[in-house]
Amino acid sequence: MELANTLKQDGESRGGVLAQLERLETQVSKFHKKLEEPQDAQALEARIHELERLRDNLRAEVKQRQAGVKASTANVEPDQTLEISEQEILERKQENVKAILQAYRFTGISGKLTSRGVCVCISTAFEGNLLDSYFVDLVMEKPLWIHHHSVPVFIPLEEISAKYLQTNTQRFLFVLCEYLNAYSGRKYQADRLQNDFAAFLVGPLQRNSLCNLLSFTYKVKLKGQSFPFCARLLYKDLTTTLPTDVTVTSQGMEALPSTWEEQRADHENLFFTKPLHQVFTSFARKGEKLDISLLS
Amino acid sequence: MRREPAGDVGRAKEMDETLAEFFRRTILKIPMTEMMTVLKTWNFLSENQLQTVNFRQRKESIVQDLVLLCEENRASLNDAALLDIIYTQFHRHQKIWDVFQMSKGPGDDIDLFDMEQFKSSFKKILQRALKNVTVSFRDAEENSVWIRIAWGTQYKKPNQYKPAYVVYYSQTPYAFTSSSQLKSNLPLLGQALTVASKHHQIVKMDLRSRYLDSLKAIVFKQYNQSFETHNSTTSLQERSLGLDINMDSRIIHENKVEKERVQKVTQEIFGDYPQPRLEFAQYKLETKFKSDLNGGILAEREEPLRCLVKFSSPHLLEALKSLAPADGEVISSFLEGPSVITRSSKVGKGIEESRRTCEY
Repeated sequence: MELANTLKQDGESRGGVLAQLERLETQVSKFHKKLEEPQDAQALEARIHELERLRDNLRAEVKQRQAGVKASTANVEPDQTLEISEQEILERKQENVKAILQAYRFTGISGKLTSRGVCVCISTAFEGNLLDSYFVDLVMEKPLWIHHHSVPVFIPLEEISAKYLQTNTQRFLFVLCEYLNAYSGRKYQADRLQNDFAAFLVGPLQRNSLCNLLSFTYKVKLKGQSFPFCARLLYKDLTTTLPTDVTVTSQGMEALPSTWEEQRADHENLFFTKPLHQVFTSFARKGEKLDISLLS
Repeated sequence: MRREPAGDVGRAKEMDETLAEFFRRTILKIPMTEMMTVLKTWNFLSENQLQTVNFRQRKESIVQDLVLLCEENRASLNDAALLDIIYTQFHRHQKIWDVFQMSKGPGDDIDLFDMEQFKSSFKKILQRALKNVTVSFRDAEENSVWIRIAWGTQYKKPNQYKPAYVVYYSQTPYAFTSSSQLKSNLPLLGQALTVASKHHQIVKMDLRSRYLDSLKAIVFKQYNQSFETHNSTTSLQERSLGLDINMDSRIIHENKVEKERVQKVTQEIFGDYPQPRLEFAQYKLETKFKSDLNGGILAEREEPLRCLVKFSSPHLLEALKSLAPADGEVISSFLEGPSVITRSSKVGKGIEESRRTCEY
């Protein structure tokens, strides 16, 4: 018990385990010495009184402390309620901050510190639709390196990191962001065409991993007639979601009647300027308009 | 494309004997449990036709009936090849797959990959070189294509029973090939792949496995897909609680810290997901020997020691993961791909400054 007291009073154990063992040893030897002393009746009596005094002192001290604790708990109660609400406030603040950190995803680039660096999250979007997220786990060392990532293999990550990662990390992230957003946007358009406008397509939509070459045949109605066109869209700039080259040709027939030739040129222009699914939405609307005009 | 049966049972057989035999043997390979699935995937015989077959007969009789139906539909060699591809796709683990890596020259144009152009170019290159070759394609998921090649020579017809398979994902530098027994055709296959996909060079990687998906996961770097985000609900500490519950009460603080560190490193390297399936890996190790004892012949050696370290297991990475090794860097280098010069790290006792080139 004496040993425990020395620990508490000093606030630290002096000298570690071996020192403690030494102290125990000296205590034991002291105790043995005391036992060896002549068993004087008077000495014993004096010893008893000493111990009784010590006991009374300790009892008084205990009573004092208990009273003190009671007094302080009486005062503490209103403080505790204050503390609780403080705690609540802090918890709410913490949740708020966590929510803000989670919401950073919507800015497009967000990150979280890791033990070795930072894990960057690139959240892609197109036309206000949140699409796939991609991660790049960076290790902050000289030289900076990528631990692992979820960027698809056909995105030229090696090229981009060779150019920018060491010299201008911010640029690296922005360029990568551009590529990934453009890829996501092109993929979105191709998926929408395949899923929502399958009725217009003749045969399958031909595409590739980067969605930078799309080839398809589609039919549009004009004045009751439907005519198949072959479209070939090339996206030579991997940072854009609109094609750089568009060819719309008629299937089979060499010379087109003038109305269809107009249509063909018109469509080519549309594919250049509008996202793919929007072009087909306008085709669908035109069809509806024509139907309405036929009824009247 | 499905063609309606002629309807006349007594019509003379128009199918080549060898082709009929090829159909018979291909269909016979298919286990009965998969028969309907495979045939439906093939989509060559109609529902009505399949219903005319009594699937409770002996297998040989079922196969005979199916071959007759194929004849009715005037099935071609290409149809048979397609069926063979589908069977192989279902049983891809029966083959051993190699990986080839292609590279482009510097300053090459953007890859505008056209699948139809690729197929026609690939076929033309092979047909120009070998008069007799059967090339068939089947589109697969994620913009990939399975190619089946039956090799012949200038004078011999293609051997349909020893085809090579290539799986290629568009706009990637990797192609997976089933080890063909006819190794002499490998350079031609490489050339066809390279030119058709608009690359310049092709190199065989030292990576081989039965598990195509694992190879893909390794070269496409899709194996470690757990990332730290603010949105993740479980943290590293929470997950390691499982370890605490099972821990021996005699393990005191210092050992606990070490255990947690090992757990953390294992977690970082391997993650929570199932590992790609490697069966063996080998390393070339160039190292110098460092010894505490003064002298010793090995320590004084100028030239480094060249070693070959081989690991093998039915599932190598899971086995290593379960060891929770202290040296996480060794393990991470397994997955970083070949010909990567790793950072120096300690492997075993008494070895320092090792520089390794990794091979699988």
